[in-house]
Amino acid sequence: MPVFRVRNWLRRILLTGLAAICCGLVLWGQLGRTQPPVHLTMLTSALDAAQGQSLVAVFEAQNPDIKLDVVEGPNASNLIEDLYTSSFLLGDSPYDLVMMDVVWLPKFAAAGWLLDLTDKIPAADLADFMLPDLEGGRYNGKLYRLPVRSDAQLLYYRQDWLEQAGLAPPETFGDLVAVSKDLQQANLAQWGYVWQGRQFEGLAAVFVDILAGFGGYWVNPEQLEVGLDRPEAIQAVEFLRGTIDQGISPAGVSNYQHEDARRLFQQGKTAFMHNWPYAYPLGNAEDSPVKGKFGIRQMVHQPGLSSASCLGGWGIGIAKQTAHPEAALRAVQFYASPQAQRLSILDNGYLPTRRSLYADPEVLAKYPYFAGMSTVVENAVLRPPIAQYAQASDILQRYLSAAITQRMSPAAAMQAAATETRALLERRG
Amino acid sequence: MLKSPGKLNLQQQEQRTGWLLLAPALLLLLLVYVYPILRSFWLSFYSQNLGTELKPLFAGLDNYQRMAIDGRFWESLANTSFFTLVSVTLELGLGLGMALVLNQAFRGRGVVRTVALLPWALPTALIATTWTWIFNDQFGVWNDLLQRLGLIQTGVNWLGDPGWAIWTVIAADVWKTTPFIAILLLAGLQSISADFYEAHALDGASPIQSFFQITLPLLLPQIVIAALFRFAQAFGIFDLVQVMTGGGPGGATETVSIYIYATIMRYLDFGYGAALVVVTFAGLGLAVLLGAWSLSQLRRGAS
Repeated sequence: MPVFRVRNWLRRILLTGLAAICCGLVLWGQLGRTQPPVHLTMLTSALDAAQGQSLVAVFEAQNPDIKLDVVEGPNASNLIEDLYTSSFLLGDSPYDLVMMDVVWLPKFAAAGWLLDLTDKIPAADLADFMLPDLEGGRYNGKLYRLPVRSDAQLLYYRQDWLEQAGLAPPETFGDLVAVSKDLQQANLAQWGYVWQGRQFEGLAAVFVDILAGFGGYWVNPEQLEVGLDRPEAIQAVEFLRGTIDQGISPAGVSNYQHEDARRLFQQGKTAFMHNWPYAYPLGNAEDSPVKGKFGIRQMVHQPGLSSASCLGGWGIGIAKQTAHPEAALRAVQFYASPQAQRLSILDNGYLPTRRSLYADPEVLAKYPYFAGMSTVVENAVLRPPIAQYAQASDILQRYLSAAITQRMSPAAAMQAAATETRALLERRG
Repeated sequence: MLKSPGKLNLQQQEQRTGWLLLAPALLLLLLVYVYPILRSFWLSFYSQNLGTELKPLFAGLDNYQRMAIDGRFWESLANTSFFTLVSVTLELGLGLGMALVLNQAFRGRGVVRTVALLPWALPTALIATTWTWIFNDQFGVWNDLLQRLGLIQTGVNWLGDPGWAIWTVIAADVWKTTPFIAILLLAGLQSISADFYEAHALDGASPIQSFFQITLPLLLPQIVIAALFRFAQAFGIFDLVQVMTGGGPGGATETVSIYIYATIMRYLDFGYGAALVVVTFAGLGLAVLLGAWSLSQLRRGAS
């Protein structure tokens, strides 16, 4: 019957079609196996992006299934912080990896933007990191960031002038003042000691060093106790203000940032400088007038106490909303690995975050002063790891600036700073 | 004709059509202006910050109590008021002078009018960067000029001195926005009939008398409008200050907008930030209402 035949035909067509679809699906599945590479995105400063190009190439060669897109941001780190912040606030961040300064971490972690890495990194690997660097990646006991670059503030001094005057490098705050005056009176140095006094994060970092040397603290992270109005903190402010009053530091220091201080030191106008290690290779560059004439050490301290440097540095975490947490973890571990850090250090001179690299012959051959830096980093102190750090730092900077520019007495300024900081911490949130 | 109940008369029908035609615009205004304002108002009674894991928790008047004793807020409010008052006054005076000159007939007036408007057309961030260089203490043009004139011996740290910094920002703002006021006032000047001046002169009045008895009274509505515009803009100043001083030194140039920005973007304190916005908005709204009221009084007096 014709009707029957038509049905048969229909059945055949259907069966063939089904078979074709099945074949297609299997083929599709096979194609899916050889997936296009996963794309990871990270925002860094333009300088870091340029310096990190060789690292990206090595990582992509080792991980052919991952493409790493490093987005160049502005060079000012506060603008990078703003860009990350707005991308997370808008809820649909394009960034899988988050490159963070040590002081942003508590805020980013408290806001819930970062993936908890606590159980993801083997303990044996964690043991190689310098303790303060690793601690800088923790918030409320959980790990959110692996450190890839360390930084700790130092006291730079003119070795040649000290030898000429027959003086030893200073150990205490009293020594620093006395030696500065001697070198100024001997007409060797125009200024004794330059530091960063402008109202900005650098001033808070300088103060952390001085405060540690006087045995004080800013905010105790466990009990959240504020120590800014304690006698040690007031003494620390009096010391800073005193350097200007006694003519050891120029009055303009109240508006100095790091480069202002470095220029004076590198031009041979000052005996001592408070600065980060970045100034060391610059001071020893071929065209530098102070090449080979200076040494570095930890900031001085009160007699009977020890000094500690303010810790800086960068690390990488993973955005909570990333679609590729596993690939991102591989990238974080790569950047923190000895191999990647060695590459970056040999190219750019940053301090490593791993103990093993401070003993690495290749690294030490290029940067002999790293040998002494390992104890400095090991003993470095963190700025308060509290979620509201940005606000606490603004309060401190404001009152320090008022005390340094003679608008408030050190005691009154520190009492006001302590009161405001306590109100900040006690506030519900 | 009898009016049937339930049926609209012509006037009512027209009114209804009018509302219908207005509806889309009103809806848009509600969404774009009223919703964010109400939302800020609502948020200002909540704590939403890092301590609450960025979730809003009802806090009553906590944010407003905190603001009452927040020295930084009052200082920024004082800075903003000072900046607004001084810069708008200077701009009105200079702008009026400029408008009077541009209103005269002279060769090349069209070109001069265009050139005079240039500062207003340039992007603020660009202008701010340029002024930062002009006021630089080491190699700025301003210090160089004053030194050549023998007015100062050594370079003054204009941007780094708490006393001077606010004046550098005012100078840059006056330079940028005076042309805007000049153009507004020029339009007003051109609407004043030349017949008035002619008649006044025939009566024996001097140009100075004409200025005070004709120009100023007839220009007053435009002056009030220009002042209102500039007041609202100057009170919200952000970009110029952010680029030139960042609010420093020692908070001496921190304006309310910069403080609100720090509170929301850097401290992630949305509840308190909203309260700051509400109080600033209320103050600004009150000032603008006062201005608008005085404008309507002026108009009533004129007619």
